[in-house]
Amino acid sequence: MAEQKEKPRKVGAMGMVPYEMALGPTWTKFFEGFKEKKILGTKCNKCGRVLVPARPFCPRCFEPMEEWVEVAQEGTIVTWSYVNYTYFGVTPDMIPVIGATIKLDGVDCGTGMWTQISGFDIKDFELVTKKVKVGARVKAVWRRKRQGNFRDIDYWKIIE
Amino acid sequence: MGRAVAVIGTGQTKHGRRDDLSYPDLVREAVKKVFEDAGITPKDVDGVVYGSMPSMMEGMAYNHFYFADALRVVGKPLLRTETCGSTGQSVAHTAIHWVASGMADVVLAVTSEKEHEGDAQATMMTILEPFLQVVIGGAPLAFSLQSREWMGYYHIDDDKAREAASIVSVDSHDGGLKNPLAHIRVKLTKEDVSKAPIITYPVRLYDVCPVSDGACAVIFASEEKAKKICKKPAWVKGIGFRGEEYFIGDSNKAVWQSTIEASKEAYKEAGITNPLKELDVAEVYNPFSYQELMFLECLGFCPPGEAPDYVIKGTFSPGGELPCDPSGGVLCTNPIGAAGLIRVAEAALQVTGKAGEHQVEGAKLALSHAMGGAEQFNGITILGSEL
Amino acid sequence: MQKVGIVEVAQSAGTESSLSLMEFTYKPVKEVLDKVGMRRDEVDMYILASTDVFHSGMSCANAFDWDASGAFMKPASREEGDAITAFVYGCMPIMEGRYDTVLVVGLIKGSENPENDTLTSFVADPFYSRPVGIQETTAAAMQMRLYLQRYGITEEQCAKVVVKNLGNALFNPYAHIKKRVSVDDVLNSERICDPLKALECAPKSEGVCAMLLASEEKAKKLTDKPVWFKGWGSSMDTFYLGDRDLLNTQLKTAAASAYKMAGVSDPRKEIDVVETCEPYAFQELLWCEQLGLCAQGQGGKLIDSGVTQITGALPVNPSGGVLAMNPYVARGLYRVAEAALQIKGKAGEHQVDKKVNTALAHSTYGFCGQWQGVVILGS
Repeated sequence: MAEQKEKPRKVGAMGMVPYEMALGPTWTKFFEGFKEKKILGTKCNKCGRVLVPARPFCPRCFEPMEEWVEVAQEGTIVTWSYVNYTYFGVTPDMIPVIGATIKLDGVDCGTGMWTQISGFDIKDFELVTKKVKVGARVKAVWRRKRQGNFRDIDYWKIIE
Repeated sequence: MGRAVAVIGTGQTKHGRRDDLSYPDLVREAVKKVFEDAGITPKDVDGVVYGSMPSMMEGMAYNHFYFADALRVVGKPLLRTETCGSTGQSVAHTAIHWVASGMADVVLAVTSEKEHEGDAQATMMTILEPFLQVVIGGAPLAFSLQSREWMGYYHIDDDKAREAASIVSVDSHDGGLKNPLAHIRVKLTKEDVSKAPIITYPVRLYDVCPVSDGACAVIFASEEKAKKICKKPAWVKGIGFRGEEYFIGDSNKAVWQSTIEASKEAYKEAGITNPLKELDVAEVYNPFSYQELMFLECLGFCPPGEAPDYVIKGTFSPGGELPCDPSGGVLCTNPIGAAGLIRVAEAALQVTGKAGEHQVEGAKLALSHAMGGAEQFNGITILGSEL
Repeated sequence: MQKVGIVEVAQSAGTESSLSLMEFTYKPVKEVLDKVGMRRDEVDMYILASTDVFHSGMSCANAFDWDASGAFMKPASREEGDAITAFVYGCMPIMEGRYDTVLVVGLIKGSENPENDTLTSFVADPFYSRPVGIQETTAAAMQMRLYLQRYGITEEQCAKVVVKNLGNALFNPYAHIKKRVSVDDVLNSERICDPLKALECAPKSEGVCAMLLASEEKAKKLTDKPVWFKGWGSSMDTFYLGDRDLLNTQLKTAAASAYKMAGVSDPRKEIDVVETCEPYAFQELLWCEQLGLCAQGQGGKLIDSGVTQITGALPVNPSGGVLAMNPYVARGLYRVAEAALQIKGKAGEHQVDKKVNTALAHSTYGFCGQWQGVVILGS
């Protein structure tokens, strides 16, 4: 082993790799729904569950989910969290955000990591803990101009 | 299932910030130690299983190629197993199946991370597909969501959960103080933990694992080989692994079925009916203190919804009925891909009486566990001193 | 050790699909289950194979693949690295006697990823290799030059591999690139990395291959022609190209282990069909030598002899091989599937004429074949 006469050095490297991912027919239709301010789910013929986002098949029954359902845009908060830190790609002006899982009325699963609560001064942490509760009712707020992507739902607001 | 398999040696690096070493040398440190511990040489090994987190975190794709020399695998078969955070457990399982199948007598399992060379959170956000789940929050968001779902489901009030989570953090950090290889070795009080800066509420700074560099190596051997070359083998008594759906909203994450079913399979194989009584120590995967409360329930250590009560009365603390994470756990040391295998190594150290200052007296049966994905995967390996 | 049988296989085509990776993966998995008449939850274990960089850049690829692979709440795991390892891992729990059925899935959508070379440049270490542009193709080109020089293999002989394999692919409905080309077409194609020419390099394909493995008893119930796992061998070389003799690869060691386990003493005589992984045409010749199908340095003479043609005495890559279809990561499982189909007599238009009792599936990845794996299947 070499004698350490100087401190071990580090080499910086950055790589950027482009990908182009197919949405496929199921999610293309799902996002087309967003353009029309619709949230679309699919229903499994075997277990009867309605899942959002729409799926090509039911992960449990493993049958194609071909029945499309327009689901409610209101629901109940299953869980939420207040994000207050940064990491690569996230700058201080981008936080805080309130992530939440929402059980939309009539849907058999919670929304996953794609729904965020806002509509009031979320920088006020005390206010956040007062308003945002498990069990609170929320409603989707759409952007005026929609493009058929995740940004179309601006946020979910608490319905008092 | 097939022939019996045992752990005949373990090796861990000094975990922490290892700017003093190149990544291959970090792997080499653990591999060197495991051969010393097992008292065998690389030529006695029939195959190697390697695992780490994804390429983006490693800064390289397929880094097992880069580590060929460090792993002492040149001229031998290598399998690479990866299941996100539960990689360490899955790597152990691959090694166990390999030996149990009869196709190898001695298998070296190695896992490693050099997280200070990359960005862990940024990597983990790419687990989410970029169509819909474009969010800010990283792993802490996912696990905080889960923790509050659990609190809401069982109507556990914030203060009680906060107190229990703080105890978990204090206990783990005390364990780290007794483990010379742990990354974080600080004394914390419940107050320190409860009042720390918010990361993803309710999770605060000391409720969260550190960013660690570290590697872990474990050697598995068949019954015949283990009895021949190892004074104190740690026998594999049971294993289990399950994964849920990709979208986290699809399953109830308070009643965490992948943990429950994976542990059921492991307990069945090990002949354990009352884990709280029969296990002597548990190395539970705890990157987030709140999440450990859920694991205690879903691993069957206490009734659902009651983990805070059991924690508050000291059941899982040092000296309690089932001490958890005497090594300091993931809260003190988290080279992510390695953390699951470190739990196996620590369980082996416990049941062979080699855990030094953090030894749980008389431990004979130990559970090790790891979780992966965004609340998606759980793997368990139970080790015992008796075949 | 329990015997392991391949019951059924399903493959996707290699041409670009507009389906999402999730939809694309689901189809062959569902097809295998339907073919054997099993429900998803009736299979004991699932082994997936995918790699994050070759997986639309999604980390912890197992998270996304899990649903489409059918693994929900079943014992399961994922091999990251060539899918032939998932096949081998899938055999283990059955050999142990732990489980009766294992479903193995290798998946990728090449169309979603950048060029293979962009991704393999990340296999190169950032200190010595990446800065000088080492990736899989540049490394292979160096290996090819050495091969031509040391043994006097000609560029024409290497080109013949392309002619054979792309021609065979015309009879493989799943193959990605399939056409009649001449040796001149190959020699005149662009020298993208001299001496490698464009037509000598594998494409970037889609590919999901699903396979059901079962214990002897179960396999015999589920199919009247199970294909038996007879042996495997695998070996790794060291990392830096300069530390290696690029022509004396670990394939020799891997093959020796596989032959030993399968009880094969004279591969040239006893193997009926070979499916080998040849992302660079010359490698098929080199691998044939390393597999012991011909003497060292005689790979060129082997292809000249016609023995490895689809109608020959020892057909190599009747499916078209990786030159015709390169779903990186899944390609190793495709080799096993194709070998199995040959034994079953179910390879359709690219079924070889002779009776196939023993088949060899080989896969490799890493620069100049740093990782080598060989599987032997038997009737």
